[in-house]
Amino acid sequence: MVHALIFYVFSAIAILSAIMVISSKNTVHSVFFLILAFISVASLFIMIGAEFIGMILLIVYVGAVAVLFLFVVMMLEGNFKNVKHGFLQYLPFGAFIGAVVLFEIVIIIGAWKYKPNLIRVSSIPYNVSTTNTQSLGKLIYTDYILAFQLSGLILLVAMIGAILLTFNKRSDLKRQDIATQSSRERNDSIYLTDPESGKGVKVND
Amino acid sequence: MNLLIPEFALIISSLGLLMLGVFKKNSQKLINNFILVLLVILIGIIGVNYKDNQNFFNNTYSVDLLSNFMKITVLIAVIFTNLISSQYLRNQSLTRFEYSILILFSVVGMFTMISANNLIIFYLGLELQSLCLYILASINTTSVKSSEAGLKYFVLGSLSSGLLLYGCSLVYGFTGSTDYYVIANSFLTSGDALKFGLVFILCGIAFKISAVPFHMWAPDVYEGSPTSVTTFFAMAPKIAALAALIRFLHIPYANFYADWKAIIIVISIASMILSAVAAIGQNNIKRLMAFSSIGHIGFILAGLAVGTKQSLSAVLVYVFIYVLMNIGTFACIMCIHRKGAYFEKISDLSGLSKNHPVVAFSLSMLMFSLAGIPPLAGFFAKFYIISSIIEQKIYYLAVIGLISAVISAFYYLRVIKVIYFDQPVDNYDPVENIGIKFSLAVAIIFILFYFIQPSLLSNIADNVALNFK
Amino acid sequence: MVYAILFLPLLGSILAGLFNKQIGDKTSQILTSTFIVIGACLSILILLRTIEHAEVLQYPIFDFVNSGSLKLHWSIYVDSLTAVMLVVVNSVSALVHIYSIGYMSHDPHKPRFFAYLSLFTFAMLSLITADNFLQMFFGWEGVGVASYLLIGFWFHKESANNASIKAFIVNRVGDFGLLIAMFLIFSTFGTLNFHDVFIHAAEFSKKTIHIFGEEFNLITVICLFLFMGAMGKSAQIILHTWLPDAMEGPTPVSALIHAATMVTAGVFLVVRCSPLFEYSKDALNVVAFVGATTAIFAATIAIVQTDIKRIIAYSTCSQLGYMFFAAGMGAYNVAIFHLFTHAFFKALLFLGAGSVIHGFHDEQDINHMGGVWKKLPFTYVLMIIGTLALTGFPLFAGFYSKDAIIESAFFSKSFFSGYAFVIGILTAFITAIYSWRLIYKTFHGKYNNTHMDISKVHESGLVMLIPLILLSLGAVFSGYLFHNIYLGEESTKFWGTSIFFLEKMKEQEVPEWLTILTPTLVISSIPISYYLFLGNNNVVKTIVDMNKPVHNFLVKKWYFDELYEYLFVNNAKRIGVFFWQKGDVGTIDAYGPDGISNSVKKIAGQASKFQSGYLYHYAFVILIGVALIVTVLMIL
Repeated sequence: MVHALIFYVFSAIAILSAIMVISSKNTVHSVFFLILAFISVASLFIMIGAEFIGMILLIVYVGAVAVLFLFVVMMLEGNFKNVKHGFLQYLPFGAFIGAVVLFEIVIIIGAWKYKPNLIRVSSIPYNVSTTNTQSLGKLIYTDYILAFQLSGLILLVAMIGAILLTFNKRSDLKRQDIATQSSRERNDSIYLTDPESGKGVKVND
Repeated sequence: MNLLIPEFALIISSLGLLMLGVFKKNSQKLINNFILVLLVILIGIIGVNYKDNQNFFNNTYSVDLLSNFMKITVLIAVIFTNLISSQYLRNQSLTRFEYSILILFSVVGMFTMISANNLIIFYLGLELQSLCLYILASINTTSVKSSEAGLKYFVLGSLSSGLLLYGCSLVYGFTGSTDYYVIANSFLTSGDALKFGLVFILCGIAFKISAVPFHMWAPDVYEGSPTSVTTFFAMAPKIAALAALIRFLHIPYANFYADWKAIIIVISIASMILSAVAAIGQNNIKRLMAFSSIGHIGFILAGLAVGTKQSLSAVLVYVFIYVLMNIGTFACIMCIHRKGAYFEKISDLSGLSKNHPVVAFSLSMLMFSLAGIPPLAGFFAKFYIISSIIEQKIYYLAVIGLISAVISAFYYLRVIKVIYFDQPVDNYDPVENIGIKFSLAVAIIFILFYFIQPSLLSNIADNVALNFK
Repeated sequence: MVYAILFLPLLGSILAGLFNKQIGDKTSQILTSTFIVIGACLSILILLRTIEHAEVLQYPIFDFVNSGSLKLHWSIYVDSLTAVMLVVVNSVSALVHIYSIGYMSHDPHKPRFFAYLSLFTFAMLSLITADNFLQMFFGWEGVGVASYLLIGFWFHKESANNASIKAFIVNRVGDFGLLIAMFLIFSTFGTLNFHDVFIHAAEFSKKTIHIFGEEFNLITVICLFLFMGAMGKSAQIILHTWLPDAMEGPTPVSALIHAATMVTAGVFLVVRCSPLFEYSKDALNVVAFVGATTAIFAATIAIVQTDIKRIIAYSTCSQLGYMFFAAGMGAYNVAIFHLFTHAFFKALLFLGAGSVIHGFHDEQDINHMGGVWKKLPFTYVLMIIGTLALTGFPLFAGFYSKDAIIESAFFSKSFFSGYAFVIGILTAFITAIYSWRLIYKTFHGKYNNTHMDISKVHESGLVMLIPLILLSLGAVFSGYLFHNIYLGEESTKFWGTSIFFLEKMKEQEVPEWLTILTPTLVISSIPISYYLFLGNNNVVKTIVDMNKPVHNFLVKKWYFDELYEYLFVNNAKRIGVFFWQKGDVGTIDAYGPDGISNSVKKIAGQASKFQSGYLYHYAFVILIGVALIVTVLMIL
């Protein structure tokens, strides 16, 4: 009973804050609502016993991603007023499309019941004695090694992309290069000369 | 495990080359050459084990005749893309080692898609591939258009991935598994609800192959991306997505033929008609190629919708011929440059016949072939598809296909008209790059002389189709 | 070896046609000629081998079509029929190639000419070595194209262009028949391979087909359509009009294509399909009737023509008629024998005429020649040999083959055998008359050319004479040497399976009066035509004056061209103009292409506008698409 109550509370918060994310006028507020949505979803995960995923969600999405978002939004300070331009214009039609899809989903899924043996056929071994992290680890490095490695590659590519697209080598900037600086020899920069009188020294740079 | 050598080789060498590129200055040429050699060797390796088939990683990854055929096609596409684009990249000062490595990573993703026998693996392959493509589209950071193309592609791609994932989650919810075989078996018990998953997954894949109505990104991205990347887009990712689509439709959803047939026919008709009509208004040749590829995808989907072994074989032949036609066409587009500056307007081709007779002739032949005019290869591709459709008595689809082919002939022929009958402007630079010459020669010879022995390719495709499943 | 025969000409053609800039005029001439000469030598070897030991050889090239029940492959098929044809085609072609080096020496487009010649040879070879109808059709069309190109070789001459188009179009009528025949064969037999069709021919011999509510024997219909194709290619009456006009092309072309090889393709087709024709008496009767009619018809025209090449062209037409009626009598071997001998002496006559024309600097009217036999001694002698062979002078080549045809008509039990027999003898006589007329008018009498002085007439060079001499050897000896093999005791063994007889031919004793009749006529024609055309000009004049309408009828070639002009060309033009103006421009274009293309353009404009470039539009379209597809699925 309590369990169900808490579930509904968190679900309601999640949905409401998701709506607020897209409808609030102030972008900073949107990000805060996003964080709120993440937190309630994390709570839902913890409720079904997936504490690892719930915590990861908190740490990664709330702790890192959303905060980064916040910084970006605050720093850009751009003109977000126009972003919603045309929103109202398309709202009725968009709402209609959404309603149609929703209606259809309800009809089809409403007529369907969860399979009674769903838990048993699922391929994840459900064992109370081991912790979430442990069983995840066991699966990831055995049955799901391919998926795990591919995910790794995806992240690597994302990293390469981020660096590639933002890292801009500018030739007009003078940068400090400590290695060359400290390995400079005296002979590299100084030479002695004996100028004749009246001729002067020609500096070759 | 021999059958996984190509994948391992690709991953290991891409990681190694990444290291090499980071620590060794100006190594892009070395890396590029290494990749070319590697890919050629991989064709050999796959070719040697061509007939074997086996499943790996708990049935999540299957190597069979279909995957081998498609992988070889992908490799051919990538190799020729590399050959064609080296000069372009140099002229546009885009020669970064990351470029080649990203292509290599995306090939890993494509291989995964082609062989995926599990929704998760399929999705991961798709994402790996797409992520590389997003980056490649916007790799020219000095060009606003390129950045815009990358951004558009990324946002819309994410949307479609979302749809696809939603579909996957539905399927998982209904069947309790992501394994294709398990899904196939649960269909008898799981009723209509699974069609929903089908729709969303199909939409996700349709986005990747730019089928109408999920095609909107294609013209903009084709136009905005660097031409070398467009070349890549036009071929390799589509092959992979088509392979994944074929496997997806024929293994987990084999029992739902009537449903996916309807969806595919709708998409196919929309693609064929829209591409034929919308391409007429284009004056950028890359945009034209985008619409052209949409139309070809429409034809391929029409063949898929038939669902027989014969039609599957026709689809495979079509894909292969499509790849070669694109190789040739983009090789020609890469020839249109003057003092390092490239031209993309159709009107820039005017009078090409005067100062580049060979390129002009090749481009005209390619246009004829794309339009499906006999006896060029493009005709046979369309012919096989149409005849397989007629064999199953889906006459209206055949008629629509033919009509759209006729309309699309208009814009292909317009290109030829510009090449041969309009007044020439300045001379373009002579073609010196050996890679372009070689690729163009291969494509043209294939297209012109395919008719001498059409059964060579179609026998291979028949064999693949018969042994599939 | 067989591959070399087939592909050397193609190679030569490609080299001379595409790379003439690199290899030069001289080399391309020598190259193509050498290739064909090699081919000719190899063909003779093959024929000798076949004579020694008849066998059917098949050399695969590759699979061509493998679609549904249609399985075709390219392969070279050599039986005795093909072997004979190989010799005819390759040897004449080789000699014509060599001859052309001399004849075309003043032409600026030599490599193109040789490329076409070799291309023609390749197409002709692929026609005769075909092992299925489609491959034969490839060759059939190939020779048509090559003939079109060669007739119109002097493209700056308008008459040449018109003639080439005429040849092409008239041939299309025949090709149409051939195509229908192929469709019928495929729908009946389910295959296009000669072997498979022929062994099943007997099973279908009683099958009928409904056309316009009437029942027809299927095999007869197929054979008639096949014969329609043959009529077009071999210039039989009704479809003959292109052949005389085709003489606009260079003379070596006339010799090769329009005398010795291509025009005989129709005869070859009928003989090749003898297993089909044998099951249809009606079709054979039609073949015999058309052949016999053509023989006499063309001969009567030839008498009054004045253009040296046209006379020989009509003579070709007439001789082809002979071959057809021999085939129609069921004497296929005789038809091929005549084809074989005819190739030599007709090529000889043509090349000789070419030599005359060359000597007269492009004068073709025999009324403007005469009295030059001393100036052109070699040509004169060679032409006489050719004429003797053509007229069937005893012991020359034509004697054996033509007499065999007349005898076959005499013995045949065919419906038209009497008709053919009478026409055969009559035509032989007329042939002799006009042939000698040609000789007398060209070489004897007064010198009639006002444009150039007689001293400028010159004999051709050695490179042109040697082929003539070789051909004259063929014209003299080919009948004597081969008549035993083709017709005599060993003929059944030699032809083997390549010619099919429903009833065995019986050796019959020829009555004595028949063996004497034709030679007498032929020999007597020499003084008769001497008297008519040289001795006393008034006789001809009086005859012409007395029969003005008949003469006009003959000069105007039986008014065939005018009839066609009136019946088809004008009406077709009128119908064409009507459909063009009213139907096409007025209706179809307005609502069809123009209307559609206008609306397509409009829609295209809309569609490009639809591509707005805004991201959220795109996303929206995707979502609408999803919704639509879900709805489609729900409704279904």
